[in-house]
Amino acid sequence: MMRIPFRVVFEQRGETPRRLSLLVPLASVLAALFFGALFLLATGYSPIDTYTNMFRDGFASFNGITDTLALSTVLICTGISAAFAFQMNLYNIGGEGQLYLGLIGGAWAGIALGDHLPTLIMVPIVLLCGALAGAAWIFVPAFVRSRLGTSEIVSTLLLTYIGASLIKHVIYTPDSFFRNPNTSFPQGRRVADSASLDSFGSSRLYPTFFVALIIAGALYWIVKRTEFGYRINVISDSPRAAHYAGINARRTTIWVMLISGALSGLAGAMLIVGPYGKIEPSIITLGYGYAGIVVAALARNNLGLIIVSGILFSGLRVGGNNLQVTTDTPIHIGVMLQGAILLFALGGEAFRRYHIHVVRVQDATARKAAV
Amino acid sequence: MNQNIWILMSADAIAIATTLIFAALGALFTERSGVLNLGIEGILLTSAISSFLAADASGSVWFGLIVGSVIGAVMASIHAVLSVVFRANQIVAGLALVIFGTGLANFLGKPAEGKTITTVIKPLSFGPLSDIPVIGPIVFGQDIITYLAIALAIVASRYLFNTRPGLELRATGDDPATVDAQGLSVARIRIRYTMVGGALVGLGGSWLMLAQSAGWHQAATTNGLGWIALALVVFAGWRPMRIIFGAVLFGFTLQLPFTLQAEQITFIPSAFLEMLPYLATLIALIALSRPGSRNSLGAPRALGTPFVRDER
Repeated sequence: MMRIPFRVVFEQRGETPRRLSLLVPLASVLAALFFGALFLLATGYSPIDTYTNMFRDGFASFNGITDTLALSTVLICTGISAAFAFQMNLYNIGGEGQLYLGLIGGAWAGIALGDHLPTLIMVPIVLLCGALAGAAWIFVPAFVRSRLGTSEIVSTLLLTYIGASLIKHVIYTPDSFFRNPNTSFPQGRRVADSASLDSFGSSRLYPTFFVALIIAGALYWIVKRTEFGYRINVISDSPRAAHYAGINARRTTIWVMLISGALSGLAGAMLIVGPYGKIEPSIITLGYGYAGIVVAALARNNLGLIIVSGILFSGLRVGGNNLQVTTDTPIHIGVMLQGAILLFALGGEAFRRYHIHVVRVQDATARKAAV
Repeated sequence: MNQNIWILMSADAIAIATTLIFAALGALFTERSGVLNLGIEGILLTSAISSFLAADASGSVWFGLIVGSVIGAVMASIHAVLSVVFRANQIVAGLALVIFGTGLANFLGKPAEGKTITTVIKPLSFGPLSDIPVIGPIVFGQDIITYLAIALAIVASRYLFNTRPGLELRATGDDPATVDAQGLSVARIRIRYTMVGGALVGLGGSWLMLAQSAGWHQAATTNGLGWIALALVVFAGWRPMRIIFGAVLFGFTLQLPFTLQAEQITFIPSAFLEMLPYLATLIALIALSRPGSRNSLGAPRALGTPFVRDER
């Protein structure tokens, strides 16, 4: 067997230096962009042009900024949805499917209630119905997770595929309630005028952005300041301690998952009152629910940071999406970069948690801290 | 009722099961070593498109299969490094791999869109045996890779339960501290089997591409098979032989919609039939769970937890 004279040693840090908390995520993003640049070069595209275009279209123009904030409205919601469950080690990765149900729930309310109520009452009802539909979609995974220990990872994900079929069903079935009866081409039926909001000026930014900010703040407050939040923290730190403290972990598990589902459902309903006004089948190809997981992971499940990571990540996506239009770079490079940034951020985490250094093998055995 | 359609369906179900057997065996080897790789779907997609491009360029399906497996191992090595060396959260790392793999595969697949491959893997012919009614096309009408998948599951079972390296692998997943005390490197074993697992998943993805779909349809090429494979491992209780049975069962639910459509049985909405494989998986998953059943199901005890010698 080959002998390597050097060894990488991981030493757990007692406390993470403050500068690293900022430096590491930044370096991760840069490393991912560098990796992307190499990949672009190898496949015959110009990394400089690609990145300049991405930056300009994502952050440095009026349309760029407003589009970024518009997208972040949805991603902040799906991001909190993921982070809220993840922080209790409940891996709801089916936010995508809960978002589909939010579309259905929101569109149902928007169509069924008709044009009778003022917008100020109607829009909250639509959002609430979307949130309830999202929560309903996660109920079975939440229930069996808390009672039987069934992996919520697989169950929530399988339900996403089922939700996608459901969306197709309600749009493509000929006399469906959700389908526009006036066109032969399968299209969603528009919700009542009172159930849709106007965007700000010439932008594509909707007032729901502020709803997302308020929700983010409210969830942060719940986790930091309420008894419910305290219970979540105890359970995630030590399930055993929670048990002895008389905390009902089952009930907390169900509630956390239901809230998580409701937030993804809310994101779906926001698409109804905001840009779309109907169920648009193409939404199922956009992956807003999955993107929420990335947003949560980049913020290290810290609810206070979700807004920041949500906006940054949205900018990256908006810029990436425009690539196809402005240059001939395939749109998928954006998705790939999302994954790469997350992978590098995960690797970078180690530098935050451990003091990593390379030592000679003799020293390593002396330290007894080798991998 | 047209009997032929049902025979064809059974043959197709077994064929679909091939991808599932490879992918689930790959996930099983990975998980038996204690690493949870949720990135199977991403690996399937990346290896599928790589095998397509390689087979298209070289004109050889076998070269395509090899490239697909190698790419599978390379993709899995990303997960191995992140979860074993950097001790990252394995769940998030796996998801990152799915996102990265989907983007990468669609990027690479851009030139392959709308193209079909001329050299596909053809079913073997056993002469008169293949002509036996009913049994002929089902048992003797598959291609060599399908038989290889079944053989591999049997070998994997022997390897896991009757050999020394198999014992070491199981021990690494159940009790890494003991393996470490034996003087073996937990990290090395975990990285090795995560990569072996990735190669197996890659083989499944390549086969799916070169024998089944014969055209690149972006994410619809795999359509969640990777996730079904992960559930299949739970369903099989982390035992290779049961994977064959489970894979055929799921293969049937995946084929049923097409068969019922061909039979013009339309009283069940097609959307519901589309849901069926995922619904069946979900129900199976719940039916197998009991309070505190993770261990009695056979899950490796250290699954998903990084091994750190001095933090115990």
